[in-house]
Amino acid sequence: MKRVQFSSPTLPYLFLLPQLAVIFIFFYWPSAQAIQSSFYLEDPFGFGSSFVGLSNYTDAIFNPEYLKIARFTVIFTVLVTFFSLSLGLLLAVKADAVIRGNSTYKTLLISVYAIAPPVAGLIGMMFFDQHIGPFVTMAATFGWDMKVGINYFDTAFAMVVVAVWKQVPYNFIFFLSGLQGVPVSVREAAAIDCRSGIRRFWTVILPLLAPTAFFLLIINITYALFDTFGIIDVMVKDKAANNPITLVYKVYMDGFRGNDIGGSSAQSVILMLVVFVLTIIQFRFIERRVHYN
Amino acid sequence: MLKKISLAAMAVGFSATSSFAATNITWWHGMGGRNGEVINEVAQKFNAAQSACSLTPVSKGTYEEALAAGIAAFRSSEQPNILQVFDAGAATIINAKGAVIPAEDLINQAGYTFNRDDFIDGVRYFYADADGKFVGMPFNSSAPIMYINDEALKKAGVEAPKTWEEFEAIAPKLKEAGFVPLVQSQLTWEFTENFFSRNNIQFASNNNGYDSVVDTKLNVTDPNLIMMFDKLKAWADEGYFGYYGAGWSDNQKVFEENKAALWIGSSGSFGGLSKTAQMPFSATFLPYWNSIEGAGTNSFIGGAALFAMSGKPAEENKCVADFFQFLTSPEIQKFYHQATGYVAITKAAYELAKKEGYYEEKPAAEVGIKQLLLKGGEWSKGYRLGFYPQIREIMEREYGRIFSGETTVKDAFDTIEKEGNDLLARFAKTAG
Amino acid sequence: MHKTKLSDHLVLIAGALFLILPVVVAFTTSTHEAAEIHRSGLMLSPGGHFVDTYEKVLTKQGGFTGQVTGARMLMNSLILGIGFAIGKIVLSMLAAYAIVYFRFRFATLAFWVIFTTLLLPLEVRIMPSFEVMTRLGLLNTYSGLIVPLLASATGTFYFRQFFKSVPDELLEAARIDGAGPFKFFIDVLVPLSKTMIAAIFIIMFVYGWNQYLWPMLMTSDEHFFTLMRGIKQILQVWIGSQIPEYNEAFALAVLAMLPPVLIVVVFQSWFIKGLTESDK
Repeated sequence: MKRVQFSSPTLPYLFLLPQLAVIFIFFYWPSAQAIQSSFYLEDPFGFGSSFVGLSNYTDAIFNPEYLKIARFTVIFTVLVTFFSLSLGLLLAVKADAVIRGNSTYKTLLISVYAIAPPVAGLIGMMFFDQHIGPFVTMAATFGWDMKVGINYFDTAFAMVVVAVWKQVPYNFIFFLSGLQGVPVSVREAAAIDCRSGIRRFWTVILPLLAPTAFFLLIINITYALFDTFGIIDVMVKDKAANNPITLVYKVYMDGFRGNDIGGSSAQSVILMLVVFVLTIIQFRFIERRVHYN
Repeated sequence: MLKKISLAAMAVGFSATSSFAATNITWWHGMGGRNGEVINEVAQKFNAAQSACSLTPVSKGTYEEALAAGIAAFRSSEQPNILQVFDAGAATIINAKGAVIPAEDLINQAGYTFNRDDFIDGVRYFYADADGKFVGMPFNSSAPIMYINDEALKKAGVEAPKTWEEFEAIAPKLKEAGFVPLVQSQLTWEFTENFFSRNNIQFASNNNGYDSVVDTKLNVTDPNLIMMFDKLKAWADEGYFGYYGAGWSDNQKVFEENKAALWIGSSGSFGGLSKTAQMPFSATFLPYWNSIEGAGTNSFIGGAALFAMSGKPAEENKCVADFFQFLTSPEIQKFYHQATGYVAITKAAYELAKKEGYYEEKPAAEVGIKQLLLKGGEWSKGYRLGFYPQIREIMEREYGRIFSGETTVKDAFDTIEKEGNDLLARFAKTAG
Repeated sequence: MHKTKLSDHLVLIAGALFLILPVVVAFTTSTHEAAEIHRSGLMLSPGGHFVDTYEKVLTKQGGFTGQVTGARMLMNSLILGIGFAIGKIVLSMLAAYAIVYFRFRFATLAFWVIFTTLLLPLEVRIMPSFEVMTRLGLLNTYSGLIVPLLASATGTFYFRQFFKSVPDELLEAARIDGAGPFKFFIDVLVPLSKTMIAAIFIIMFVYGWNQYLWPMLMTSDEHFFTLMRGIKQILQVWIGSQIPEYNEAFALAVLAMLPPVLIVVVFQSWFIKGLTESDK
């Protein structure tokens, strides 16, 4: 919390109003309806519905397949978050250090973020194509008979690589802007205080980056959980079969593709509750270590 | 000839009302690429042929996205006049009583006479109700057929199989000649749904789901179906059958690259294959089991149908009827058939294309129609199963596990039966 | 300042290769024919169809009305990208400013109310969202495309993090100078946030630029076609019966990258270390 703050009876509400209005109309209103649907089995066109209480929830939770998907989701999220954050940070630190060619690197690294998702997915898929993928050929020289789409592990590997590839530039941009925000005087002082670059990074620069890093941690977790279903859809060629999928992809399959409004709403509520609890824990335990000043 | 006159008569009929502004109707579809362009061309032809109605097609993404958009719009009374819905989603829209006006009623009400016999047998029941009344208007239809690598068969010195028994006999020779004897692209459509149709076996209780949603149960533990997959698994183990995952093109590719002898694909695939296959190929019917009594019946159609959404003014419904009538005219059917590779759905269009010599030029284009024209059986009409997209996903998952050795055929089908029946029971509850 | 080391460049080059290679491959592949791409996959060397493919993509009149040209789709995507980025920055900076710099009872609650929006993706609540849009009469409008997407916490969360790390002394000094909340925000906070604004602008522009599902559901008029729909349309063909025009999809994707890259280049200068604001 800031030591000094303004106090005004109306101004903060005035500033919050536009954001809150948009959120209430376009998020809470529809979400409330989605939550309501989770207690019903409903004809998608709206002609019939039966109140089923919590059975949409129990149907999901007590299904062994659902739990298997949940397990994969956890592993996938941890891997994607870890690798995209660390690669993004590494590149940002290096780009920050380099003076010559600085803007070229930046432009190159950032521009990858701009590639259209359907095509990014297509490129990823083609790289891992079991017949003609360059990545598969490369793996074969190491004796790895990679079969994306058939072998569970290989498919999971390909998904993680593509998901990380798409997210690194995002983290790069924010880490870099965070680094560039570190005042010159601090850098100079740090350079005098500790000569070792690595030590200087851990003791001076990283704590300064912590607010950004915490933001990115949360955002990357939600990315891995929620925003990767497009990538998964392309990688499994819209046939999940016995390939690994995440919980959100399951919601997408059941709700969007299968028109099971009640069941998919219940699944999203479960997911939302779990992530919400997780986030609160992160704010409690990790944010305490983040020093904002 | 006759049809040309009736088209002209239609045009005259329309011009009588053309002093009024044209009635606008919309058509949401889920097609892209060349097929999306053909839809635009069909609509332009309709608008040019008459002036009372003006049809605007709108692409709404994929099949699934188009259906979701249609549902969302219907719930807010913003629905289009015509919505394209794919085969697996048919139960969703047909069971929502009141969402659509049955195509047959619509056309009859508009003063046309609807004749079910005009349509080829295989497409007649799939989107109809239990009494055979057309609810959806079949639009783009295809059938699973077998493509033959002519080079491979010549090399092995064998003939293309008509039955799976014949396949078993030639498979070792094909393997010896250096080919994967058999590949396929979709185990659900080609080896499950159409296993039931080609071998004339009941797929689900309640008349394959047509009679009622209540208590409908899958018949996937039928010993014949289990035998089929036991065979597939045994063939895979012996190198007679190649499984390259659930993705369509991963499997097709093996055939294109002249590495497989036989490929079960779609009747529409010949267009793409003629550009990509590295060897001459031909096509024939999807094999059946000679040992199963009454087998060899026609297959179900794949693809999608057009549905007239309810809640629209009478003059717009009249336009939709006009358009359906236009769409099933032989000239338009023939145009659509040739431009896209989907089968012609009316007998007249098939005859027209045949008379023109189209099939001499492209024999593979005829195989799908001929297969749909085969004698029908009690169980080759269609199926109507709720939450079927999810049931398909369960099948795909279990089939993948069969071929990776994670489960046995028997266990896989027990799981499919259990989870599938649970879904069907859930679906019954959505009707309220 | 410390010296640049060779190893720094090596890491950057390796990283750039990992990230950029697929993009380069997309370009080289786009200059081949569709059937060839279908057969042999991605191409590392350029092919001979650069001019015709790109000319076709740029000038082809698509859609039913024939008005869906590359230029039209480009304009719609730009409106979405810029509208979304600006809207997002304005809304979230104001909200974050209120949360961090004001003492009021519901500050924490307000933050969590906003934050929760991160947890339920649009795809899940798309049906009820559509109903809301219909009731508000926002179907087939640009505001209907942009405003609902603003209901997300990313920006607010990000600016909250940044504002909290701004030294307290600044506000103290400003208050001694007699600056009110408006003056402090505009004269101190906004200039200080330049790098942050640049970063979030790029991210949000691309996010809006790449929207697909929402515009597709919310519009039933071809005038609202975006580049992303164009690309999806090309790739979405009946599997087996046709070969997607891969070359055109790749070409469109390469073209679609140019405006965001341009934005990056423009904002490049904002990224340059604040020499003028040397000490905070």
